[in-house]
Amino acid sequence: MDDIVIVEDLHYAYPPLTPGGEPLPVLKGVDLRVRRGEFLALMGPTGAGKTTLCLTLNGILPHLRGGTLEGRVVVAGMDTRDHGPGQMSRQVGLVFQDPESQLFNMTVEDEVAFGLESLGLSPSEMEERIAWALEVVRLPGLRKRSPLQLSGGQKKRLAIATVLAMRPQVLVLDEPVTGLDPLGRHEVLSVVEELKREEEATVVMVEQDAEAVMAWADRVVIMEGGHLVLEGSPRQVFSQVESLHGWGLAVTQMSELAHLFNRQQGTSFHFITEDEACSALAGELHVQGS
Amino acid sequence: MSFVFDLYIDRPSWLHRLDPRTKLAFVVLSSIVLLNFSHPLVSATFLLGIHGILWSGKVPASRLRWAWQRMWPITFLILFLWPIFYPQGDEVLLQVWRVRITTQSLLQGLSTALRVDALAFAFLVLLFSTDQARLVRGLVKLGLPYEWGLTLAIALRYLPTLYGIYATVSEAQQARGWVIGEGNFVRRIKSYLPILVAVIVTALRLADSLSMALAARGFQSGTRRTYLRELKLGPADKVCLPLFAVSLIAFLIIRFRHSFGIHLW
Amino acid sequence: MSFEHSPAIEVEDLWYRYDDGPLALAGVNLSVEAGEFLAVVGQNGSGKTTLVKHFNGLLRPARGRVLVLGQDTADQSVGQLARKVGYLFQNPDHQIFAPTVWEEVAFGPRNLGFSEGEVADRTTEALALFELGDQAGTPPAILGYGLRRQVTLAAVWAMRPQILVLDEPTVGLDWRGTCTLMEEVTNLNSQGHTIILVTHDMKLVAEFARKVLVLDEGRILAHGPTRQLFQQEAILRQAFLALPPITALARRMQPYGLRGGSLTLEEFYQEYTALRQLGQGG
Repeated sequence: MDDIVIVEDLHYAYPPLTPGGEPLPVLKGVDLRVRRGEFLALMGPTGAGKTTLCLTLNGILPHLRGGTLEGRVVVAGMDTRDHGPGQMSRQVGLVFQDPESQLFNMTVEDEVAFGLESLGLSPSEMEERIAWALEVVRLPGLRKRSPLQLSGGQKKRLAIATVLAMRPQVLVLDEPVTGLDPLGRHEVLSVVEELKREEEATVVMVEQDAEAVMAWADRVVIMEGGHLVLEGSPRQVFSQVESLHGWGLAVTQMSELAHLFNRQQGTSFHFITEDEACSALAGELHVQGS
Repeated sequence: MSFVFDLYIDRPSWLHRLDPRTKLAFVVLSSIVLLNFSHPLVSATFLLGIHGILWSGKVPASRLRWAWQRMWPITFLILFLWPIFYPQGDEVLLQVWRVRITTQSLLQGLSTALRVDALAFAFLVLLFSTDQARLVRGLVKLGLPYEWGLTLAIALRYLPTLYGIYATVSEAQQARGWVIGEGNFVRRIKSYLPILVAVIVTALRLADSLSMALAARGFQSGTRRTYLRELKLGPADKVCLPLFAVSLIAFLIIRFRHSFGIHLW
Repeated sequence: MSFEHSPAIEVEDLWYRYDDGPLALAGVNLSVEAGEFLAVVGQNGSGKTTLVKHFNGLLRPARGRVLVLGQDTADQSVGQLARKVGYLFQNPDHQIFAPTVWEEVAFGPRNLGFSEGEVADRTTEALALFELGDQAGTPPAILGYGLRRQVTLAAVWAMRPQILVLDEPTVGLDWRGTCTLMEEVTNLNSQGHTIILVTHDMKLVAEFARKVLVLDEGRILAHGPTRQLFQQEAILRQAFLALPPITALARRMQPYGLRGGSLTLEEFYQEYTALRQLGQGG
């Protein structure tokens, strides 16, 4: 198996808020491997360490913030202890949660070009990549637009394009659909789908929204209190309704429904999609008037 | 809102196509000339010429109107106050109490006002016809370190955002019953405190996120970068720049050798 | 606590345009009963925030008028309306500025002119209600996002407004944070407060809101009981609103005898089980 991301016994503590204070440990022994082409969903309550883990994947931690990092993070063969974010960003494209603070150029075109300029590409190579990236995220006609004029969904898609253009081996998306209206959510999820289907990208996606995760994740890992507590396929993970609720997480409504039936009537439903629920439940009903 | 912070409007004109460095050179040329020539006719001609440039550069009349709306109060203020505070010469036109209005001071006032206007519009030639990205790129090419240029560009880009945050925070605090801008001077200043604190904290969070975003895009100070769009001096630039140089020399000769254009009578 | 005046909010032929912008609100007429739990939904740009900002005077009608608890907002300042209408902004960091949680929560009551004793009482009560007692002396800015959200909610509630406007309050909260928040809001509603919830989360709408207002391009597309709205497919499609999965499932199973209006899991479960027993018995 080609593991493109290897995280071994990772511990990380942020430097103290005030000098002489206590360091803030967030990651307390994370072991994780991501295969090439895999779509991994990372879920967990607020404060579990999901964003912190993402920041260790491209070297921002510890290089930009200090703090103490123990254990190993290796992405595409590069150990983050030896390579700072300047180099790691060639392999790991990290898209942050807030588009406002990562769209800092005057036009869409400049924005996508920025990372390519850091890579030292020639203008013709840049043109090619910009065109391709904007095509994937479905923003081809907006090159001269200012990011300030884009809708929420467009901003999130642009943010994806800016790291996608750098052609990293791994894409890390931190809550790509949080805070979007339904249209924006649909737009971004379509892009996520394209990334998985057409581009066969290796993606690590942090999300609260169980319904969004369920559609495309190959594997789901749950983080809580700084380490992984559960791992498995979406179906396996979302069937553990009680555990997830205990950790402060939502499951899909369908999983909850199955759980409700199983708990009340001793059934053993395991549907997680509407289609499955419909088939399973309809089978028990007589069709009226047929 | 973005109009207020970005004066640029895209038009297909020779002026817009000029390299920003050439336009910067024009601003420098204008500054030198206007500061050295005090004859109002010189500044008036300059002002007219600049309007001609702006017109031929297809800068919309609405922009010019916007600029004049801001300039005329200053202009009139100078015209009105200069004779009062800087009486000069002997040809007294009017005397009210101890205030003497002389022809000479009126003309001085006119000259100063026109020079201020002409200088402002010289800057506007640059700002109306150059987008912020190219302007910063021009400065960097002239020697500004890339990081400074990036800082400048980012600051310009976030001005409207910060203003938006300020507006939202003002609303949020007012919605909690806080009253802004009333009372004596001290109280008025203090009334901005809850807003400023929230804005600054938000801005700091933004700056922190921004530093990580830059890192995630491979930004490293000191490494060589390539550029998507390079600035190249075009044919128009190659005409303008020598023209500026020649004009500057000519102006300076006229000014210092022949002392022309500094006396008003 | 009883709030006398009803309707709590009346909107009469409200028009609003941001400077040089397109029309944000075009002739909105609305009546919100006291004690209502109203969800306001619609695409970004449909006018949701524009509408609710008229309720506490942050925006003034270009045409038409807004009556809050029977009084025209035109005659009242934002400060005066703050006594009656509490507004929770989407981003808690746009409100937080004080050195301690206590000061942050006390800010509102103090602005309303209460005595220090009254302010202290209200603050203590608010901190207790929202379980922030332990954080009273902590700077709110260093707390986690969920707690910062709780602090701003406590701060708004401490002013004891009859009407509470919540602008997308659950964005960025995890499931537990959302549950806690909605539980607190529901309690306030059951005590008689009028709740106006602007949100994109249709699951929340289904579970908590009794009435829904759908806006589209500055106009009201629909206004009525939640259950009714979820039956109107054309409207949902136009406003790009999705049914919560459970409701969608119920609709799909209409051919099997379900009414198709289930808003929550419990409702679906009850209906389904009853139907199955009927089928087995018949």
